[in-house]
Amino acid sequence: MRNVFQPESLPELWRVFEAHPGASVCAGGTDLLVKMRSAMMNPESIACVDRIPDLRGITTEEGGMLRIGACATHGQIVSDPAVRRMFPILVRAVENLGSPPIRNMGTIGGNICTASPAGDTLPPLYALGAEIELRCKAAQRRMLLKDFISGPGKTCLRQGEILASVRLKPPEGYYNNIQHFEKVGQRNALACSIASLAALLQVASDGVVLKAALAWGSVAPVVMTCPDAEKELIGKPLTSETLRRAAAAARQCANPISDVRADRDYRLEVLGNLLMRLLEVAPESAPARDY
Amino acid sequence: MLEVGYSVPRFDARSKVTGEEKYAADCFPEGFAWGGVKRAGIAHAKIVGIETAPARALAGVIAVLTHQDVPGTNRQGLVHKDQPVLAAEKVRHWGDPVALVIAESRETLARALSLIRVDLEPLPGVFDAEQALRPQAPLVHESGNLLLKGEIRAGKGEDALGECEIVVEETFEVPFQEHAFIETENGVAWQEADGTICMHVSSQAPFRDRFEIAHALGIDPLKIRVSSPYLGGGFGGKDGATVQCLLALAALNSGGRPVKMSWDREESFVAGYKRHPVRMYYRLGARPDGTLHGLHCRLYWDTGPYAHLGGEVMELGMEHAGGPYRIPNTEIEGWCVYTNNPISGAMRGFGVCQVSFAFERVMDLLAKKLGMDPLALRIKNGLRRGDKNCCGVTMVHSTGIVPCLEALGRHRLWTERDEWKRSAGPFKRRGTGIAAVLNAMGYGRGLPDSAIARVELTPEGKIRVFCGVVDMGQGNSNAFLQIAGEILCQDSSCVELVHPDTGRTHPSGSSSAGRTTYTYGNALIRACEELKAKLFHRTALFLMLDEPRGLALAPGAVRHLPTNREVPLAMLGKSFPESDRVCISEYVMPVAQDVPDTGKDFSIGFPHVLFSHAAHIACVEVDELTGKVTVEKYLAVTEGGRIINPQGFEQQVHGAVGQGIGYALMERLMMKDGRILNPDFTNYILPTSLDLPDLDSIAVETVEPTGPFGMKGIGEVGINAPLPAIASAIEDAVGAAVNRAPISAACVLHALSGRERANDADGGVQR
Ligand SMILES: Cc1cc2nc3c(=O)[nH]c(=O)nc-3n(C[C@H](O)[C@H](O)[C@H](O)COP(=O)(O)OP(=O)(O)OC[C@H]3O[C@@H](n4cnc5c(N)ncnc54)[C@H](O)[C@@H]3O)c2cc1C
Repeated sequence: MRNVFQPESLPELWRVFEAHPGASVCAGGTDLLVKMRSAMMNPESIACVDRIPDLRGITTEEGGMLRIGACATHGQIVSDPAVRRMFPILVRAVENLGSPPIRNMGTIGGNICTASPAGDTLPPLYALGAEIELRCKAAQRRMLLKDFISGPGKTCLRQGEILASVRLKPPEGYYNNIQHFEKVGQRNALACSIASLAALLQVASDGVVLKAALAWGSVAPVVMTCPDAEKELIGKPLTSETLRRAAAAARQCANPISDVRADRDYRLEVLGNLLMRLLEVAPESAPARDY
Repeated sequence: MLEVGYSVPRFDARSKVTGEEKYAADCFPEGFAWGGVKRAGIAHAKIVGIETAPARALAGVIAVLTHQDVPGTNRQGLVHKDQPVLAAEKVRHWGDPVALVIAESRETLARALSLIRVDLEPLPGVFDAEQALRPQAPLVHESGNLLLKGEIRAGKGEDALGECEIVVEETFEVPFQEHAFIETENGVAWQEADGTICMHVSSQAPFRDRFEIAHALGIDPLKIRVSSPYLGGGFGGKDGATVQCLLALAALNSGGRPVKMSWDREESFVAGYKRHPVRMYYRLGARPDGTLHGLHCRLYWDTGPYAHLGGEVMELGMEHAGGPYRIPNTEIEGWCVYTNNPISGAMRGFGVCQVSFAFERVMDLLAKKLGMDPLALRIKNGLRRGDKNCCGVTMVHSTGIVPCLEALGRHRLWTERDEWKRSAGPFKRRGTGIAAVLNAMGYGRGLPDSAIARVELTPEGKIRVFCGVVDMGQGNSNAFLQIAGEILCQDSSCVELVHPDTGRTHPSGSSSAGRTTYTYGNALIRACEELKAKLFHRTALFLMLDEPRGLALAPGAVRHLPTNREVPLAMLGKSFPESDRVCISEYVMPVAQDVPDTGKDFSIGFPHVLFSHAAHIACVEVDELTGKVTVEKYLAVTEGGRIINPQGFEQQVHGAVGQGIGYALMERLMMKDGRILNPDFTNYILPTSLDLPDLDSIAVETVEPTGPFGMKGIGEVGINAPLPAIASAIEDAVGAAVNRAPISAACVLHALSGRERANDADGGVQR
């Protein structure tokens, strides 16, 4: 027997936590139920958080900050007009996540708290410098997503604390005119990533890279960022030569494993190769270099 | 109206889509208990002891049974009886069953299974067919690791290769494949008051199951009743006992309660059957003009620890080892070998799928060496009626490989291939490949391929078809109702089906071997014709006609055309006793009349004489950055005689190609010391709808005069071509040979970098 609670508000949730300190949080359950079936977890009680209004919805706050509730489903994210306008990179990552039923159930909060190096929302969120909001009965805190995830499956979530939202700063001035995401999986749907790349670039009309933020999934214990690779791009024209140097830097930085999906060598080669695709992605509108 | 040749919507579509249809897995009889199995968890070991007391002591446990509780021979198997119901002295693979538990609930069952301690003394294992034949190899069975050595020879055999100006030689490997049906192995069994064991089970062969159970448990086969509803997939994996013997044993020990057993996905992977992995050494010789002259091959089949249908699978593979070609001199050798791997057995394509890869790859090699167009080479050597196949058997039935290849040659995927290849985008390379294949129908000589159909006019005036052959989803029962409706002129509301049940229907063989619609359909046509004649006669009595002439069947009635008078079927149905409303007829598939003086090692199944044919073209795009292969376009041309239901035909072609694409590109069973590392759908990768191309399908409608309405079975032939066609297309795209499946992105990327990256300063990447 297992207790399942469906609190309708945060105060109700806090009461559940008080009565059942060991309760597992369940949002869409698409990770949790898999773990329970394979006996990796056997929680005595479950608190479903998907009905709590404070954790839902996608809203634009003062200052243009976009707040994505932790319980926003992937399906909601993909179809949200503000996300689609400002953060196509996130849309691209999420529209390939799982399958339609998984996207209808699974949430961004669940993807973050699972903290898998293969979590598909993570590379774009890292590249975007996402901030998260944590709540417990007594307090609220904010931190950068990259500081929240400390290892595969590890976060600094405390007992009685939940992830409430993800916050994305609107891009200043010009949008990144290249927002690219690619996942390499074993098939085109329902595929756990073997390697993925999220790339945000600002490329001037003369082809020179003004800004670059890169993040890779599944090539290290946590999502990998690589300032060395970014440095290879910034201030240089976006050519195969430049990208090859960035790829070499990224390979230096990575530490992929071999697993049932692919071996280390394949991941090493591909994580660099993925950068070459940027040659193919046409910038949306090129800002002038002196911006 | 049910017309043959028209896409009548499937009778089972609505009930399956709404969930109304009850599969064996949906059967929960009152008061049932759960049965489950403790499995070895090691690939090869001596059983020192089995500690069952703690499990027995658990509340809610009804029985814990071991080999000591198995009456009878404790041996199951279809041809070779070598597989224990519960292992006694040894375990021979990871999933070998050691103890059977019956419990009140699933939770108690799981707990009881975890309490059973099996004391095992590990033995060295052997996991490769060729290694298992070495003198020092660990013995899987005392009698040795060779299940069967076979040879097929025609003409001068291997010696003919010496006469060939051109010889190509290569080694190929194909992997395990999982059937991956949606409904895993399951059933329910109970014992009636008179001692009869009744079983409702997801099985492709309920009639044969009785004998397998009877032999293993020492029960009278006629005291066993087996019924099978629609199956949620089979593909060969439910041809032969899965849960049957275990369930019968449970029913004997449950105090009269029904026992349900249902393997979960992981158990289905570990304990279920697989497609045989095979290593194939091929040498093919030709004359300078491309005329095939000699073939030699050595084939090593890994059957796992038990025969299942290993010998028969190998036989069929060997019989097809020369493909759909005229090769006057052949020597085909095969070894079917025991190992400690999972059990291999029947699967769609039954040995043919494996050899198709090899013979089509060597045809490509030959074309290259000759500088000849691969399609022209195939057409030149394609079997025509009157030719002898690679076993020396004359093709006397419809033989449509050349028409298939010609139709392919006219299709734009072939004629426009160069243009398509040239228009690849950045970082992409494109290639096309073709494959020509065939697949035998029926059991072959030595095992009469027969069916008995019973058709009844019910008192309500409906036509009831008693079908003794299972529909595992392929739609054969739909074809049966369509045939009955066509002959008796009834629409779908006036025909009904009785599913296979050894107590109600007649033995009609297994649902397998491309035979199901052919053999049962022929029997049914005869039964329906008899019923029609009978209805005319009885109608004549009602209408006081001098003779039964001028009569025709109409929906719900028999009509006298000259006078337009009708006798409703319901009236006829009520007027006569059951014995008079029933017609039963039978059919046996023809066999080869010119049995060649070879293949003596095969007790049953050699040779075959009826074949379906197919030619496929795959157009693939390879990504240079990731090695990912996308099948962009695909055409399947299929020759299987006339078509009873075009939609059913298409579904079989699509399904076969999809399953074949999985076999070619994705499905990889990962093994370590006989243990499956990916026994689930998370890591055993099946194609999704997004991985399959839009498929063009063309039917080459020959007429097979012996077939029901001119048809032949096409459920299997389509799975044989995707792997060779895709391998050929990849080779065309990347310029490196592909001789092993599945073809992973990693190996394609490796091939790409090996070829070009090394010497091309731009990394083979061009904008
Ligand atoms: C078939 C299948 C395919 C999948 N494919 C992909 C894929 O392609 N890419 C991918 O990245 N993932 C994939 N996943 C994994 C999963 O769907 C995602 O990670 C999803 O985003 C998880 O969200 P959820 O709401 O279902 O999480 P849940 O299962 O509800 O929760 C996951 C974990 O996070 C915790 N948690 C959830 N919400 C909160 C919160 N607000 N505060 C604190 N803790 C919380 C839970 O306690 C639990 O430990 C797949 C899963 C399945 C079953």
